[in-house]
Amino acid sequence: MSETPSITHGGVLERPPRRRLPWQTALKRLLGAIAVMWAAATIAFFLQEISPGDPALSVLGGSGARPSQQQIDAVNEQYGFNRPVLDRYAEFVGDLAQGDLGVSYQYKQPVTDVITEQVGPTMVLMTVSILFAWIIAVASTLISAGHGRLRSSVGSGLETFFAGLPQYWLGLVLLVVFAFELGWFPVTGGTSLDALILPALTLALPLAGFIGQVTRDEFERGLRQPFALSARARGVSEKEVRWRHVLRHALLPGITLSGWAVGATISGAVIVEVIFARPGLGRILVDAVSAQDLPVVVGITLLLAAVYVVVNLLVDLLYVIVDPRMRSSMAVA
Amino acid sequence: MRPSSLIRLLALLALGAAAVALAACGGGSSTAADVPSTAEAGAGAGAPDKVEGTPVQGGTIVYGTDREPTCLDPHNLGDMPQTYVARQFLDSLVSMQPDGTVVPWLADSWEVSKDGLQYTFKLKKGVKFTDGEPFNAEAVKANFEQTLDPETQSSTNLVYLTPIYKSTDVLDEYTVRINLKRPYSPFLEVLGQAFFGMESPKAMARGLQKNCLSPVGTGPFIMKKWTKGQSIELVRNPDYNSPPADALNQGPAYLDGITWRFLPDSSVRYSALTSGEADIIFNIPPEHFEAAKNDPSIEVQEFVHAGLGHYIILDNSEPPFNDLKVRQAFTLAVNTPAAVESAYLGAYPSQTSAITSGTPFYTDKYDDTFPYDLAKAEQLLDEAGWTEKNSDGIRTKDGETLTIKWPYSSEPGDVPPAELTLYQNIQAAVKEAGIDLKLVPMPQAAYYEAFNDPSEYDANASYWNSPTAMVMYITYASENYDIPFANASKVKNPELDKTLLAAAAADPDDRATQAKLYEKAQKIIVENAYALPMYPEQTVLGINTDLKGVWIEPSEGEPVLSDAWLEG
Repeated sequence: MSETPSITHGGVLERPPRRRLPWQTALKRLLGAIAVMWAAATIAFFLQEISPGDPALSVLGGSGARPSQQQIDAVNEQYGFNRPVLDRYAEFVGDLAQGDLGVSYQYKQPVTDVITEQVGPTMVLMTVSILFAWIIAVASTLISAGHGRLRSSVGSGLETFFAGLPQYWLGLVLLVVFAFELGWFPVTGGTSLDALILPALTLALPLAGFIGQVTRDEFERGLRQPFALSARARGVSEKEVRWRHVLRHALLPGITLSGWAVGATISGAVIVEVIFARPGLGRILVDAVSAQDLPVVVGITLLLAAVYVVVNLLVDLLYVIVDPRMRSSMAVA
Repeated sequence: MRPSSLIRLLALLALGAAAVALAACGGGSSTAADVPSTAEAGAGAGAPDKVEGTPVQGGTIVYGTDREPTCLDPHNLGDMPQTYVARQFLDSLVSMQPDGTVVPWLADSWEVSKDGLQYTFKLKKGVKFTDGEPFNAEAVKANFEQTLDPETQSSTNLVYLTPIYKSTDVLDEYTVRINLKRPYSPFLEVLGQAFFGMESPKAMARGLQKNCLSPVGTGPFIMKKWTKGQSIELVRNPDYNSPPADALNQGPAYLDGITWRFLPDSSVRYSALTSGEADIIFNIPPEHFEAAKNDPSIEVQEFVHAGLGHYIILDNSEPPFNDLKVRQAFTLAVNTPAAVESAYLGAYPSQTSAITSGTPFYTDKYDDTFPYDLAKAEQLLDEAGWTEKNSDGIRTKDGETLTIKWPYSSEPGDVPPAELTLYQNIQAAVKEAGIDLKLVPMPQAAYYEAFNDPSEYDANASYWNSPTAMVMYITYASENYDIPFANASKVKNPELDKTLLAAAAADPDDRATQAKLYEKAQKIIVENAYALPMYPEQTVLGINTDLKGVWIEPSEGEPVLSDAWLEG
């Protein structure tokens, strides 16, 4: 109980009230988002540009086509690969501004079609994984934190263990044990609901480890805070102190981490989608990168950048919901 | 499991003069039997004479496979996974037999002009594409034209059509004549591949963007829906009336539909088969090969593809492999059978011939030309002047070390772990002879660029699937020296050119003459050690025994499911 109150999470005391109008904030946010997206598109464009390999070859069958020189010339002409890079960049940005992501080199389909088709399964997987991770993390915290050193150590040890699990290994183990051997889940369920559990757990367990660790630290710190003490002094039951007061306090760092978790689940989705034979953006992205399918790479990069922007916004909102102290400051901020 | 396969190919440019030729209608009964010393081709392929049991109508099956095509129109690109699924919804003009002859399919009969330049096909009447369009001579013409259109980005046309194709004449509604620039005796078997499946002209006219997603054929199944990353749904074509002459089922398919499921992880694929979630899977992984063979509920069908198989290109244009003795020494030092056995756990046979044992006109005569012999390898290297050794035990000559640069794609889909083990086995084996083999991983795209620049490699793994032994022409002919991905061994051998051109100019029905010429070509390639053969491309289907009547056609190893039915 040596900590001074109200340092841990800022709050009104530290933040001088700002007097800007909300629409200014909204505009600033929007411009910020556009800048982030533009930067992401530009970086993706030039990274592909400087990476070795001939884009005409990716059009003509990446994974091993043996095209003729005439075909290579024809494709270079058709796609304009021979034009100066800045010309192509200008056209690329112009098309982007109009929402035209171009046509995939591999699939010959508009990139927006490819993404639209694949985005659903990945978003479902991502959402369910993060939800699972939270359920596991909160349950682990409530069960083991603040119940004495032994229980806490076991809980904390498990979280560290889960946080360190490589997803590829974990996915295979879950698959072998629960699908191959026990037969509880389908081996090749694709997008069916029962086939969602194992891939979601594969992503959720390591994530739950991370979220659990920060939540537990915060939770145990919260238990020793004056607000917990004063609640107890008011005669609130210990259970209610834990669930209503301390847990709410302890969620904040985990929520911050959830923004990062979105990124982690997307990179994890790449592995999970292959192991569990699920359609999705991760798999398409890996294929596109290795086949140098620039339009698809850029399209997915942009979408992910947009997801990050939105998620960070949501994280800010969640803060306000969870921590009432921030309401007054956010309202004007 | 096999490396994620690539393309198969072959091109051919035949020169020269005439050849007799003529009708080979209706017959798989050709002259293959008279051909001396030619092993039976297409091992494991072809329609069975008879299948036990009474076919049952109905039911949907799941076919689990590894790689997903990027476009379902097989005229685009020319990647193996395209043919496997295209076979289910497209018919071709003719159907190839394991011995390399063909039987009628969409073409009832054909005649070849005496100069070998005109192929006249009489087409089946009353056949409709599944979008209602009629199949006729105009449709055949439209198919050749679409394949040759640069916008279709076909690599099949480059290897099989561009060098030889001149034009198509529509003689009447059901008679069509293909005119060639040069005689090309394997033309008919080449047309049997699903790469030359006939598509609806109306559907093709929609352009690739649509046609990649929903190509339309006359086949036993109809392409219904493609969920990328998951599956392709195929449904029965109830009006199917154009099966090949070698099909057991001469009517519509027995099955109501097929779910063509993509399961890239090989252990998942195998588990899907044993758990019954899949009825048939493509390529049983080597580690489960024995278990599958011993499992009474699984039927294993093995097929050795025709073509060059998997081999190591040796750069004949530059040191050290421009020296015949060094190439021979390298071949002697490798111990191919042991290297393949150890890498692929005995699931794949090894190969020491110029073409695979599954290729029509393959001969086993030269299989033992360079058996493992380290002492002889050392002796040849000494004779070649690589007499000194440095402190690492690597041979040197005039201050140069005997180093082999071998780039490969670091993409695990291109070079899976077992394949890399094979390379490392070869690396370890030749080190014994004092050869320093450097394996250089490269990003896929960089690797493809290196492929076309011989200064970037001394050795380079490759493979070609092709229904014909004429594949040797594309990879070794002087004419193809500068063509990308073709003569990558950089071979110039006038006698080899002459031999293969003579085979191309032979009467397609004169099997004996072709056999003699192809045998000579195989001898020249093996004795000159232009390349190091490794193992044939193989397809291993695992089939639940409830699923009857599945067979593998021999041109590209496409699974034939129109004869299949689900029992009880």
